Amino acid sequence: MRSSHAKETFARICFTLAAALSIVAVALICIFLFANGIPAMAEIGLPEFLLGHTWKPSGDEFGIFPMIIGSIYVTAGAIIIGVPTGILTAIFLSRFASSGVARLLRPGIELLAGIPSVVYGFFALMVIVPIIRTTLPGNGLSLLAAALILGIMILPTIITVSKNALDAVPKSYYESALALGATHERAVFRVMVPAAFSGIMAAVVLGIGRALGETMAVVMVAGNQPLIPESIFDGVRTLTANIVLEMGYAADLHREALIATGVVLFVFIMLISLLFAAIKKRGQNS
Amino acid sequence: MCKQRMCSRISQASARLFGLALLVAASLACVTLSACAHTSDLSSEQISVYSREDGSGTRGAFAELLGLETEMNGKTVDTITPRAVVTNSTAVMMTSVASDPAAIGYISYGSLNDMVKALEIDGVSPTSESIKDKSYPIFRAFSLVTNEPVDPAADSDGEGGSHPTTAADAPDAADTSEPADDKRALIQDFMRFVASQQGQGIIEENRFVGSVEDPQTYTHASNQAKPAGKLVIAGSSSVAGVMEKLAEAYEQENPDVSLEIQQSDSTTGIAMVEAGTCDIGMTSRNLTETETASGMFATPLAFDGIAVIVSPTFPLDGLTSQEVRDIFSAETTTFSELPSWSQAETKED
Repeated sequence: MRSSHAKETFARICFTLAAALSIVAVALICIFLFANGIPAMAEIGLPEFLLGHTWKPSGDEFGIFPMIIGSIYVTAGAIIIGVPTGILTAIFLSRFASSGVARLLRPGIELLAGIPSVVYGFFALMVIVPIIRTTLPGNGLSLLAAALILGIMILPTIITVSKNALDAVPKSYYESALALGATHERAVFRVMVPAAFSGIMAAVVLGIGRALGETMAVVMVAGNQPLIPESIFDGVRTLTANIVLEMGYAADLHREALIATGVVLFVFIMLISLLFAAIKKRGQNS
Repeated sequence: MCKQRMCSRISQASARLFGLALLVAASLACVTLSACAHTSDLSSEQISVYSREDGSGTRGAFAELLGLETEMNGKTVDTITPRAVVTNSTAVMMTSVASDPAAIGYISYGSLNDMVKALEIDGVSPTSESIKDKSYPIFRAFSLVTNEPVDPAADSDGEGGSHPTTAADAPDAADTSEPADDKRALIQDFMRFVASQQGQGIIEENRFVGSVEDPQTYTHASNQAKPAGKLVIAGSSSVAGVMEKLAEAYEQENPDVSLEIQQSDSTTGIAMVEAGTCDIGMTSRNLTETETASGMFATPLAFDGIAVIVSPTFPLDGLTSQEVRDIFSAETTTFSELPSWSQAETKED
């Protein structure tokens, strides 16, 4: 009896510690970011920091507005490319693909999720950038290149999450639609997809989070000019790129300004998590 | 039923074929388009300027040496155009420049290879000789950072030893001295090795240029104990490559010493010296005022040329420094505006 009680306590402590670890990690990151970032924001001045158009750390000009816009543009581009492709692939895999095709596609998508982002970056640098350079205006290192590669990178997230949502729709919905005279296509697009809508939105939101946070591949192909791009062929610098580009040599206020950039990014990601939670909640309620 | 299935099989197969055909067509279109674009004339094209990130040692040295500087908020800043593509990696810089016929960028002379073409500046091409005799105008210094001044010329015979704390002056006291003094002596001895003929030789083998005019041979007096202990050296990845070679040679000379080298970047290296987590920092940039104020000292290690690079297909072999300055400050945006370019064109005619 006693030994089983001891075992019980021991197991409980193990599980609690494991669970506490992730919370502690998040808490420590929060403390680090805000403790280092907020003073820098205060020193630079919040409006100058968030809305300033000039980023020139060596001259004490820290305006990250072009980077905020850059992150939004690149993410939007990735969504435009990745979301329709991803959702259509998920519908295809869930309802149309023969088992043979699915057997081929599924490992492919899983592999896509496992490729390190630096490999995506090199692929984009060696293949996508030269194609853009030779066929379209500009030197290829552009908003378009970054959006294209990010669009591919968010595919696995969007496909997997929305396919799970589609698969979770009760079979009776589909069968009822057929019984009422709907064709297969009509049943899928008018009944199944709307029923899985909140799950698909969750996939999109996760994709946005992934695109916003991606760094390595973007740094390699985006050109990284700290300017607001005038066209999709212009270079762009994202918030993540700004941090990783300059951290190596930054000192003093410059370093703190980069951490403050991290705070802004953190707030963005937090908003997206909240959005994700809200969508999930709505999906459970309906 | 069976017929239906057959039909659907056939339609699936044809759909797959169609998809494949579309893919082939698309890739063919890409290839032809790119082939056409290659033949277009460079002279009217926009120059793509590639630069390193703000704060990088290479960028700072490049801007300073070419006079691409101005005052802003009471601080010196560079005037490299904000339209320049920014990268923080030599590999990405070289790959991008190699594949872009209209590109111009700059990298450390030590990393230069055949992938790109290095331009002559004012008629001088970057070589070890031209960097050493300073006829090649663009170069920077690599330094070692310590938390107290070190005189690499101080020699263990006691000639240059005016410091009473150096082990050189008190060889007998070495056994009884504090561990901190041992470490100081070891740092001093390593610095002496770096500044010696052997050390400078290793630096030159790695295509950097030594910082010492007339290096002495590194030897130990027979009556003196060889240094022992452990040093941690951390910092700039540009310096770490050559530092590893130096450490290897030093450990061969002094088997009781172990040197640990950690690659990160200049700022981290200096911060680690400040925090006491490493003994010597490696930096490819100058110390900031705050770093000097907190007691950091820099000892020059080597000089590194900065090569201005273009794609191998670039028609010119050299530019003047004024032209490079104009390109990087975006006063010149097309090749036809360059005097060297029009000269080369008239020569061809």
